[in-house]
Parts: sequence; structure tokens; C-alpha cells
Amino acid sequence: MIGPLNRTVMWLTWRQLFARKRIYIAAAFALVPVMFTVFFKFTTDDQSGSRLAFFNGLSRELIIGTLVPLAAALFGTTAFGGEVDDSTLVYLLIKPIARWRIVLSKYIVAVMSTVAVMIPALLLPWFVLGGPELSAKVLIGYLVGGTAGAAIYCALFLSLGLASRRALVIALIYVIGFEAVLSRNLVGVKSLSVREFAVAFSRAASSGTIEITSYVVPMTTVWTMSVILLIGALALSLRRLSRFEMAERV
Amino acid sequence: MSAAIAGSGVVAFTPQAGVAPHVVELRHVSRWYGNVVAVNDVSFTLTPGITGLLGPNGAGKTTILHMMAGLLRPSAGDVSVEGVPPAGNPDIYGSIALVPEGEAVQPFLTGWEFALMSAKLQRLPDPEAAARRAIALVDMGAAEGRLVSTYSKGMRQRIKIAGALVHEPAVLLLDEPFNGMDPRQRLHMIDMLRSLAKSGCVVVISSHILEELNDLASNVLVMVAGRLAASGDFREIRRLMTDRPHTFTLMSSNDRALAAALLADTSVFGVELAEPGVVVRTKDRGAMTRNLARLARDAGVRLLEVKPTDQSLESVFSYLVQR
Repeated sequence: MIGPLNRTVMWLTWRQLFARKRIYIAAAFALVPVMFTVFFKFTTDDQSGSRLAFFNGLSRELIIGTLVPLAAALFGTTAFGGEVDDSTLVYLLIKPIARWRIVLSKYIVAVMSTVAVMIPALLLPWFVLGGPELSAKVLIGYLVGGTAGAAIYCALFLSLGLASRRALVIALIYVIGFEAVLSRNLVGVKSLSVREFAVAFSRAASSGTIEITSYVVPMTTVWTMSVILLIGALALSLRRLSRFEMAERV
Repeated sequence: MSAAIAGSGVVAFTPQAGVAPHVVELRHVSRWYGNVVAVNDVSFTLTPGITGLLGPNGAGKTTILHMMAGLLRPSAGDVSVEGVPPAGNPDIYGSIALVPEGEAVQPFLTGWEFALMSAKLQRLPDPEAAARRAIALVDMGAAEGRLVSTYSKGMRQRIKIAGALVHEPAVLLLDEPFNGMDPRQRLHMIDMLRSLAKSGCVVVISSHILEELNDLASNVLVMVAGRLAASGDFREIRRLMTDRPHTFTLMSSNDRALAAALLADTSVFGVELAEPGVVVRTKDRGAMTRNLARLARDAGVRLLEVKPTDQSLESVFSYLVQR
């Protein structure tokens, strides 16, 4: 036990998440922004004026807006979904461990895995680009915002993994349909978008260094909605796991 | 000890009568899925020893085991293990273990990792020692370093059993444990289960094959279509099953002459001429099969084929229900 977490459940989840070829998918996720950055570096002559704009766009759109939710979808839905799929969840359920410890341990591993993909994706482009306008505050802002996004997405996708056998497909439809298309184009739904919360957290954590010209969701709404989504999704996972019954067959 | 057929009320097995407490108890337990009734008003209590849960596929054996393991809640009635309902009570898993049916074991783990993980999840003081002991019990030491995905069906069964034995449970529930095991592995497993039972463990083994429980389970519960059709001493149940009327279809060179000869035999109580062949009913299968060749020879009839017509397990079980 590590405080409220169970070390063995975490270890098993870790093995589950990176079993088979998922480790390569995760590595590919982490390296895509670096490839874009290298391409930018070698194709743009005057970088001093556009470096910050490029890094902002890369961090907000590609990393926080796409990579973090995709990684969270992969890890969050697999944390329980993998075991539901191959019928091995029973081995965890028949052990004397409180259900909430199982949920929390799996959740933390999903968040850590998503953040582990996000950190090199942000850090490497920041190093490659360099320059005085890319202050540490900007990097910290995006790291904090991305971590907050990962925390909420993972809670949502973890409960989805327990609710449906098609969790990954549903998560991808949500990420692509709602987060990438609807919330970007409709101001009215921005206060429901985890991506927008992550961007707002990024700006707040950078002490305003990160400039955002478009509409930013007020921090009171961001905090309220984030807490509701996170706690609500985790509570739903706990409820589902506590009431989980073996496949209904006669 | 006696056997009861389709008895109502609570059936108690007491291999160590008067000594051991009732560890597992089901009282008027039913479970349904929508409008399908999987288990219908089943009551029994179990004390240390081996109990066979026998019945054809779909009889409700797995549902019963899952209810005892707390993985399903009964729709009606009460299940208790060591006095508490197992569903929604994870602490009980310190004394219960379930070996589920099917081959599912995390394929990315080695056998050793699976057993060690089980021991650690049980929060045992020395998980390595517990895992080592459990692996030795199922004789999987030689293959413990290999990935479970490379195991044969029988090896997966054994590593699952090792994972269930790490914490020396008081109640061990095994769902069709002999599936995929070769005869040598089976014998080893039987020895191990016997010694577990002797040490005071409640062992429940589900099976759809009567012979599998031969010489292993002293007590059996026979499930048919969700109901407890028979319960009690294995030999009694077996005798009831083997003494039931048997039907054979015979082909011969002269069916009518053979039918006449068979009617004269005391072991036969019914003969019918079929087109072609003779259908013969007997209550003493042994005597009839012993006498058949002599009867045919004396009547000058050549036997072409002798075929039992009701050997399916389902027919055996449905006979028990009718009784």
C-alpha cells in the first residue's frame, strides 16, 4: 500500500497499459510534436517573431487539444476495459482490497501514463526552439494545464472503460467530435470542454504569460466544472466496480 | 449419510459431523437474468470436505459458484460464507478463493508473476514464500518463468489454482477445474484437493462429467435446470444414476425372434419392434448385457449392432428430476 493506493494494482495496471504494442503508440504520440518542431526549425528563416506563436499553437492544439485526450482515451479506457475484455478483472475483484483503492490506483496510473507521454511532447519542442520569448513560465503553464486536462480526461475515460465494451471507440468519437470540432467552433459549449479548461489552467499557471486572444472560460467555471467532472466520474467508476457482476450467463 | 433426490428444504453435508461449523450456507437462493431463471430456490450448507457440484451445461452451476464467491448477488434468498454475505464484502476474500472457468489469465505475466501478484493482493506477510509454495503445490515450478500466453490449457488451469491457493483459503471454489488437464495432472490435482479437504478446507468442484468426481467428492449436489435435483452421498447418487432404466437399440438377423427371446429374460421389462431393429428396456443394465449374447445364440439370431440410446448426461439428469 502507498497511502490510499495499492502498489500491486498499480503495477498490474502499468503492465496492462504497456502490454503488446501500446508502448510504441505512446512513444509515437510523444514524438509527433518534436517532428513538427524540427520541421519548423529547418523551414522557417526568421524564427524570432513566430517561435512563440508556433509553440503556443503546438501546445494548445496538438498537445493539449489532441495528444493528451488521445493518450488519456487509450490509457483511461484500457485501465479497466482491458481486464473487462479479457475476463481477468475477476482476479482483482476476488481479493481483499477495498474497491475504492482499486479505482484510485488504476486512475493514478492512467494519469501518470498520460502525463509521461505529454512531458516529452512539451519539453523537447521547447528545448529545440529555444529563444528568450519561450520562458520557463510558458512551459510550466502548459505542463500544469496539460496535467489538469489529463486528470479530468482519465477520470472520464476510466468510468467509460467500466461502462462499455466499446469504450475506446466512444472516447475517440468524443475527443474528435466534441473536443476537436464542436467546442472549438461553438463558444456556447466551451464551458463544457475539458480542452478549454486545460487551456484556462495553462494561462493561470503561467501567471498570464500565455496570451490567449480567443474567449477563455472564467476560472470559477473551470474549477467548478473540473471538480464536478473529476469527482463525479471517479464516483461513477467506484459505483460500477462495487456493483460489477460476472458476465450474465446461465 | 444419505442421498436425497429433488429434496426441498436445507440439505446439510457434514463429513465431519458435529465437529465443523457450516462455512457456506445458501437459503432459498434464486437468481434470474431478466426473465430467465438460472437458479431456482436452492438451499444447502457446506462444511469442510470436497463437494461436487454436478449438472449439465447451463444447469446453473457457475451462477451458484459466483454467488458463493460474492461476484453475483442472489435475486432472492441469502448466501453466507462464514456467517456474512460475500457480495459487496471484499474482506471475505481473505478466506474465499475462486478458480473461474475459462483460460483467461493475464497473458503478459509469467506464471511466477501471476502467483506472486495474487499473494501480494492478498497482503500476505511473505508473498514470495506463499507464491513459491502454491506453485510447488500445483507442480508448476519448471514453467513458472514462462509467459502465461505460452501455457497449455492444463497449465493455465494449474497456475490459476496456484493463484487461488496462495492465502490458504478456508473455502475453495473451482469451476470445471479439470478442463484441459491430462490424466497425470488430474491425479496430482486430486491428491492435492484431497489433502486440502483433510486440512479443513471447504472445496467445491463443479463438473458436468459424473466420472470426473468419482473417488474425489464424497458429497454431490446435482443441479438440473437451475434446481437442486439431488444431493447427498456420491455413491448413492451414482447408484441411482446407474440403476435407472436403460434403453438399447439392437440390430439383428431376425428381430422378431430376438424380441421373443429377450422378453423371456427377467432383466428385461420392455421390448418393442422398431423398423428396423428392436428397442429393449432394462432396469439391470449389467445383467441384460451379460445375457444378451447367450440369448441371441440360443435363439439362433446373429447380433449386428447393440447401441445404448439414452447415454447422454442430460437424460441421466432428467431421470433424476423425474424421480
